[in-house]
Amino acid sequence: MYLVPRLNLLLLTLSFTLFLTGCPGPSAENAEETASKSEADSKPENESNSESDENSSDEPPEVLLEPFDAPTLADLDADVKWEKQPVLDSLELLRERQSKEKPLVSMPGALKLKNTNQEINEKILSALGRLPESVEDVNWGATINRHVLADLKSTNPIMGSSSVEFEVSSLTGFGLFSFDWNFIPFAVSDTVVSWETSDDKLYDKVVLRNDLTWSDGVPITAHDIVFTFKTIMNPKVPVPAVRSGTDQIRWIQAYDDQTLVFFHKESLPTNVWNLNFPIIPKHIYEKELETDPTLQDSEYHVKYENNPVTGGPYEYEKRVRGQEILLRRRDSWYMHDGKEVRNSPYFERVRLRIIQDPNTALLALKKGEIDEMALNPELWKTQTKGDDFYKNCTKANGLEWVYFYFGWNTKTLFFQDKKVRQAMSYAFDHDEMLNELCYGLYQPCTGVYHETAWMSPKPMTKPYKQNLDKAEDLLDEAGWIDHDGDGIRDKKFDGKVIPFRFSIMTSNRPLSLSICTLLKENLEQIGIICEVKPTEFTVMQEKSRKHQFQAMFAGWGTGTDPDTSVNLWKTGAGRNYGEYSNPEIDKLFEEGRREFDNQKRAKIYGKIHKILYEDQPYTWLYFRNSFYGFNKDLRGYVFSPRGPYGYGPGFNSLWKPVSK
Amino acid sequence: MQEQSETAENTTSEQKTVKKSPSFWAETWQRFKGRKMAMLALIYICFLGFVAVFAPAIAGTKPVICKYKGHIYFPALGYFRREWENPIFLKDRFRNRYPVNLKKKDPNSWAIWPLVYQDPYRRVYDNEWKGLPGNPTQDNGAPSLRNWFGTDQRGVDVFTQMVHGTTIALLVGFVSMGIAGVIGIIVGALAGFYGKWIDMVLSRLIEVVMCIPTLILILAIIAIIDSPTIWHMMAIIGCTGWTGIARLARAEFMKLRESDFVLAAKTTGVGQFRIIFRYILPNSLAPVLVPITFGIAAAILIESGLSFLGFGAPPPNPSWGTLLNLGRQNLQMWWLIVFPGMAIFLAVLAYNLIGEGIQEASDPRLRDAN
Repeated sequence: MYLVPRLNLLLLTLSFTLFLTGCPGPSAENAEETASKSEADSKPENESNSESDENSSDEPPEVLLEPFDAPTLADLDADVKWEKQPVLDSLELLRERQSKEKPLVSMPGALKLKNTNQEINEKILSALGRLPESVEDVNWGATINRHVLADLKSTNPIMGSSSVEFEVSSLTGFGLFSFDWNFIPFAVSDTVVSWETSDDKLYDKVVLRNDLTWSDGVPITAHDIVFTFKTIMNPKVPVPAVRSGTDQIRWIQAYDDQTLVFFHKESLPTNVWNLNFPIIPKHIYEKELETDPTLQDSEYHVKYENNPVTGGPYEYEKRVRGQEILLRRRDSWYMHDGKEVRNSPYFERVRLRIIQDPNTALLALKKGEIDEMALNPELWKTQTKGDDFYKNCTKANGLEWVYFYFGWNTKTLFFQDKKVRQAMSYAFDHDEMLNELCYGLYQPCTGVYHETAWMSPKPMTKPYKQNLDKAEDLLDEAGWIDHDGDGIRDKKFDGKVIPFRFSIMTSNRPLSLSICTLLKENLEQIGIICEVKPTEFTVMQEKSRKHQFQAMFAGWGTGTDPDTSVNLWKTGAGRNYGEYSNPEIDKLFEEGRREFDNQKRAKIYGKIHKILYEDQPYTWLYFRNSFYGFNKDLRGYVFSPRGPYGYGPGFNSLWKPVSK
Repeated sequence: MQEQSETAENTTSEQKTVKKSPSFWAETWQRFKGRKMAMLALIYICFLGFVAVFAPAIAGTKPVICKYKGHIYFPALGYFRREWENPIFLKDRFRNRYPVNLKKKDPNSWAIWPLVYQDPYRRVYDNEWKGLPGNPTQDNGAPSLRNWFGTDQRGVDVFTQMVHGTTIALLVGFVSMGIAGVIGIIVGALAGFYGKWIDMVLSRLIEVVMCIPTLILILAIIAIIDSPTIWHMMAIIGCTGWTGIARLARAEFMKLRESDFVLAAKTTGVGQFRIIFRYILPNSLAPVLVPITFGIAAAILIESGLSFLGFGAPPPNPSWGTLLNLGRQNLQMWWLIVFPGMAIFLAVLAYNLIGEGIQEASDPRLRDAN
């Protein structure tokens, strides 16, 4: 329900999550890719973490958290100038927004529509994507059947690493902070009374509500949050994903059961994005933390792994491994001492059904066995247009800031020259890709930031168009000419003739393969040999991290702040797979994260966007929008740049009407 | 019977009046010819071989023969190896578009085109060929006059992919079973001829290799090798598929090493290798041919299966299995399943029929029945 997971990380998405193959290899791979879709974290991060954990069993564990002598609250209040920050109910926020937007069609009218173009899509969303007018409209006993691609690895929220885990922990857990569809952060009024930030953004003071309880009846206090923070930062605990971001917090101090102060390492405008992490009950996990730091192995921990104590709106009712996860609305969440103190969640039960094959899932959607699923372009375009689909279902799409690109390894002889990289962008047939391979459903991408984002440059950079003449001119200029007359361009390096023959690494999915094959075909025309190398997901991760590739096809999701892309572009940064290095970019990112004036920040990031567009360390290809099929019984879906669920209220706004 | 033919051969020089009795292979061929289904299958395989060899002339976008700037070229050979396409077509911004550029760059040029102007690796674009529109993409590529077997999602012609995919299907069978045959016969021969501890060791080796699951080994190797090709796959299928052949060869050698003509050869001082390869091997080949033929069919299936799962020949190599895989993503595109599926089925069936034919034709016990 709340956005428990880390918000500030970029995610790696490799082609379509939905193109599944039936054999065990790729399906396992798919679970990983699902991870990438989560708002939280991506695979590379967990991998590096688990590696360091393995090492740490032999060597003395590194200290992640130095002891900190927190000042008293009185001293702090005396020193710091507090600024009040918003404490909001995301549903109220959405209701307020929707009160200004009139539905373009009536609800029954919208249900009759077939989503064939963007205008109709707008109509469907405006009518069906609305919150209920009154409480009488809502079927409070409804069950929603959601589609997920893989099972949970752990029910402990801090052990989450894939999208399913974060999806479930956002329902069973609670968070102190969230952000809306415009990525504006706020504290959640369900859990927080007040939130103040120091004027230099070094401290955040939060007062919790006193009517929160865990599912076993024990009150939730500030000490649970401090305990969770220390557990996440405990090097002995194998935390796969949520540690990154959280490790930017210097210390959290609980001054009483309700009052918390977050101490940051540096005065940065991006500090707010580190505040949120999943929270675990102290009274359960402190008992055996010392003897079993894995939180999973001992008998005691297994007991709570199977029957977890949760703090959020839903609790576990049943779990059939590999098939479904059933969650039940928790009365003690919205009721306290016999009074309703919070909004009751719209659904009594949430069932997450695990279906791997997209065609099977689509059949289940058509039959009403699941209420929603993400559709790939092929399903959207070809198998969901008939009456058999519209009998029970409808579909909608929204913009999503997930872009795909060809990444060039700038340390290789081929792509060290900017001109060559530009030539690649000119050689590729963008129109063929967008209109034919992507079914005309995706928009071209020109750089790191989306056109509609506040940090994008004005005017926006223009998408590349195929221009083979220009590509060949650029290659000639760069010295890649067919000297030996064998039909392949080559260039002399230290007296050695190197033919322009490279391989591009991609995931083994139909769309990725066809896009790379199109590149191969285009480059062949101008005398460059490109071999397409389908690579298994984990191998691809490994190779990209070690920079052992010449070119790759992959995708990145968006973080909530433009600063999150620093780890893609800064010299030597963790995900700068192509080892791009430009001192100016490094400097601009450093400036950007220290700039408090939003307009100046936008300018800085716009400049970054333009420099990267000029340098073309990637050939940016397209933005992958989100496409969903919904049961006609479902209401309240609103899309954000992170899809329909990855923000506040997200899933929280979905409801089912009373059947008349 | 084999002994007879051997001795007959040896004595013909002295007794010229005696009519040479037909050799074992001639007899087998006679009986094989009598089996209609097997002959039909053989003809079909020969036909596939023909298609594989002449694939670029049947379907392609490069002229079979053309005259360009005063010279004769065979650009279609480029489909076999890139280097065989004359580099003159790879520069001057020729860009792989023959119909337009031949005329534009040399008005006096002429060309003989393949029967079907389609490319196995890419879509044919608008106005590329006689001003006709390009291939339909997505799910619009149902079979039509221009695309006999339809097109796949990318707009690549299915018929052309199947024609060019024949090469892979046939190569996989022949190369892998060639490797398997050589290994299997040598191991089986050594084990069967020498017996004792050599047999003991080699038989255990056979059993060990039998335990290796080919498919999983291929998947593992593909993950390890930097850039896996179809040849790696053939090598693995060959290196794991020889055990049946070796066992049969071993049994044959055990039987034949006790026979009189081998004894005769031994007593006249013929070398061991000569005995193995000149005397015993030709007489033990028939039973060995049967598992080889069935093995070819199995290899084709393995290759299609791997391509179907997406682990086959690296893209954009056309393969029957790859087409099936594309069809699985959208079952409404039936032409992606029916045509390649039939091709795989027929090829495998043909090999099985041939195998059966050889088995029955070479088995003396069945001779009288026919």
